[in-house]
Amino acid sequence: MIELKNLTKRFGNTLAVDRLNLSVAKGEIFGFIGPNGAGKTTTIRMLAGVLAPSEGEVSVNGISMAAEPVAAKRSIGFIPDRPFLYEKLTGMEFMRFSADLYGVGDGSFRQKAGGLLARFSLHDWADELIEAYSHGMRQRLVIAAALLHDPRTIIVDEPMVGLDPAGIRLVKDLLREQARQGVTIFMSTHTLSIAEDLCDRIGVIHRGRLIATGTTGDLRGTALLAEGDLEEVFLRLTGQEGA
Amino acid sequence: MREVLALLRPRLLSFRNGGAAQNAGNRRIRYFLFALIGAGFWAGAFAIFYRVLIYFQGVEEFGDILARKLLSMVLVTFFTLLIFSSIITSLSKLYLSRDLILVHSLPVPRGRIFLARWLESAVDSSWMVVVFSLPVFLSYGIVYHAGPFFYLTAGMSLLSLCLIAAALSGLAVVTAAVLLPAGRIRTAAVFLGAVLILALIMSFRLLRPERLVNPEAFSTLIVYLRAMETPGSPLLPTTWAVDSLNAALAGLRGEALFHLALSWSCAAALAYIGVWTAAAIYFRGYSKAQTSSARPLALRIGSGGRRRRLFRRFAGPAWAFAAKEARVFFRDQTQWPQLFLIGGLIVIYLYNFSVLPLGGSPLRTIYLQNLFSFLNMGLAAFVLTAIAARFVYPAVSCEGDAFWIVRAAPISLKAFLWVKFAVYYLPLLVMAETLIVASNVLLEVAPFMMAVSAATVFLMVPGVVAMGVGFGAAYPDFRSENPAQSVTSFGGMMFMLLAAGFIALVIVLEAGPVYQVFMADFRGRSLTGLQWAWLGGSFALVVVLCVLAAILPMRFGERRLREQR
Repeated sequence: MIELKNLTKRFGNTLAVDRLNLSVAKGEIFGFIGPNGAGKTTTIRMLAGVLAPSEGEVSVNGISMAAEPVAAKRSIGFIPDRPFLYEKLTGMEFMRFSADLYGVGDGSFRQKAGGLLARFSLHDWADELIEAYSHGMRQRLVIAAALLHDPRTIIVDEPMVGLDPAGIRLVKDLLREQARQGVTIFMSTHTLSIAEDLCDRIGVIHRGRLIATGTTGDLRGTALLAEGDLEEVFLRLTGQEGA
Repeated sequence: MREVLALLRPRLLSFRNGGAAQNAGNRRIRYFLFALIGAGFWAGAFAIFYRVLIYFQGVEEFGDILARKLLSMVLVTFFTLLIFSSIITSLSKLYLSRDLILVHSLPVPRGRIFLARWLESAVDSSWMVVVFSLPVFLSYGIVYHAGPFFYLTAGMSLLSLCLIAAALSGLAVVTAAVLLPAGRIRTAAVFLGAVLILALIMSFRLLRPERLVNPEAFSTLIVYLRAMETPGSPLLPTTWAVDSLNAALAGLRGEALFHLALSWSCAAALAYIGVWTAAAIYFRGYSKAQTSSARPLALRIGSGGRRRRLFRRFAGPAWAFAAKEARVFFRDQTQWPQLFLIGGLIVIYLYNFSVLPLGGSPLRTIYLQNLFSFLNMGLAAFVLTAIAARFVYPAVSCEGDAFWIVRAAPISLKAFLWVKFAVYYLPLLVMAETLIVASNVLLEVAPFMMAVSAATVFLMVPGVVAMGVGFGAAYPDFRSENPAQSVTSFGGMMFMLLAAGFIALVIVLEAGPVYQVFMADFRGRSLTGLQWAWLGGSFALVVVLCVLAAILPMRFGERRLREQR
């Protein structure tokens, strides 16, 4: 469960996120879309506790990020858009590193890590240094590590970048499965077809402000369109139709 | 503590796994070369300190005062170096590293994140100072016949100094980062550091220590040192270290332990205050570090039109890359202090020639002047190599993640590399020729030597620059957070070794014939036919060597870069 209240972020004179209010329910997949520079990554980073808001509050799974950042983060699985990984660690060592930090016990680690690596087709690469991994493999490893501690909320920035079609299918299935198990998913993406296909609700951010939220049908109504897919709705809402 | 250890583990594992890396062979060669250079430096430092201390022991009454003063000066210098190094390292570790987004997303209290990063920073910033301070303490121990207690005290004193320096720097950085973005603080720190180093070198050089070989000047120094026999401030960590070391040398164990206790209690207190402060304000500063603030100097927008008209004949991708290179170079504020430092060092280089005590030598002055001029060619070329290692070698690696633009651009890799060459060639040629001509003017050398030096440097500059670009392209590091450090890689070491070999070969080829010409002129004789042939052959070989040095590394770099995945 995610609650954002008047979330605001200023970079000098630039207002990156402007009084964002949003609530995402348990087990919901929420898509976050917007043009480049609209404030998606800034919002995601504030949600993950990586960036402090200028004003407002972030609450994840009922825990305030400002008051109890450690507890809040322990309940989150964060998948950044450009995953930094320690090049000189092996895949399994990185999983161990994540497990140690998120308190995954030794008893369940081997089985869980092995299972996740196998699911992401990384089992044969588990003992190879990450520097030998392709971009897609690194992305898979980050996702696997984020799931290791059974997070109650997954925050993911551009989940499909760098993944092959099989990887995209895998991640889509996985996110649906997680949501069915009650995990809240907040996902930013530029791939509108994926947002339309996967998300229960979608929020459109433009120039730092949340300009619309709802299902694709709701957004169509907000954009005053009788028909059309999410792409047309998005372009209408963000005033980029002629672009 | 478990979390702190977990946060430190990737670093330890990375270190351990380094041997299994894809480029482990290159890494081993690099470590071997570094170990060799380090051992040479270490042995040199030991020899100098040992000789100086033996010399001091021979000075009646003042020997011990001089040795103590030297120890105090050494520790103050180490402490200053530690503070400066810690500031730069902790800024990087705490605010600018690429893995911080991952680290801050982890469920670890901020105080512990700070503690883990601070410990890493303390080790990174002090290990080199510790390693190179060992010959100093070893020489004191041997000269004063000290026992194991002295070495133990030295180790513990040094360790506490490192912790105090790291804690003070950490506190300063965490506090400053709340007020200013960390990137701006780093630029300011590097700039101030450059000014400090330059001021120290200049003041030392302008004191003209070579005058101390004059007995009259030396007796004045003794009087001065006697006046300075007063102890340092009791509030300074270096005073505690000096006092504990002096006490250990004198066999006063209790006193040595008392000063050590002072030092360690200060280190522990500062570390505690640091973690406590960081828990309160570190994250605020980290958030600010992700904010880009306004530039100190606004870009001049609107002058592009005039510039385009001026350079319109240079249009096209090559010009675009050249313009980009110049813009990126001058907009990168971390380059400014280094340019400033180079300017200062050139002034000192030339100043050295103006104060050379040639008159007091028993050798004929004219002979010495021309000998120095000849050696100066090699020296200037080595200075050129060092500058090329800092600026030219990393030029290709500086493209970083944006190298795909070069790959995608309508320009061949060959043209791209020659653009890099052209951008650095002209300024380095001007610098090298300025050094040579100005130092020759100060030495008042013969016109023949002036012509030979200027022509040789003119021929060598393209070779050195091409080697920098070529080897930088052959061994690029597009993933480095600091491409300037890529010169410490295998390719960088190869570049420096080959450039040094190239310069030495040119000097050796020219030495014989130049000596013959000079001596013939000196004795008023003309050159024999054989000597003319030797002269022509040597200079022809130099030209061929310089042409090959300018072409082959560029081809090598282009081929290797093309093969890069």
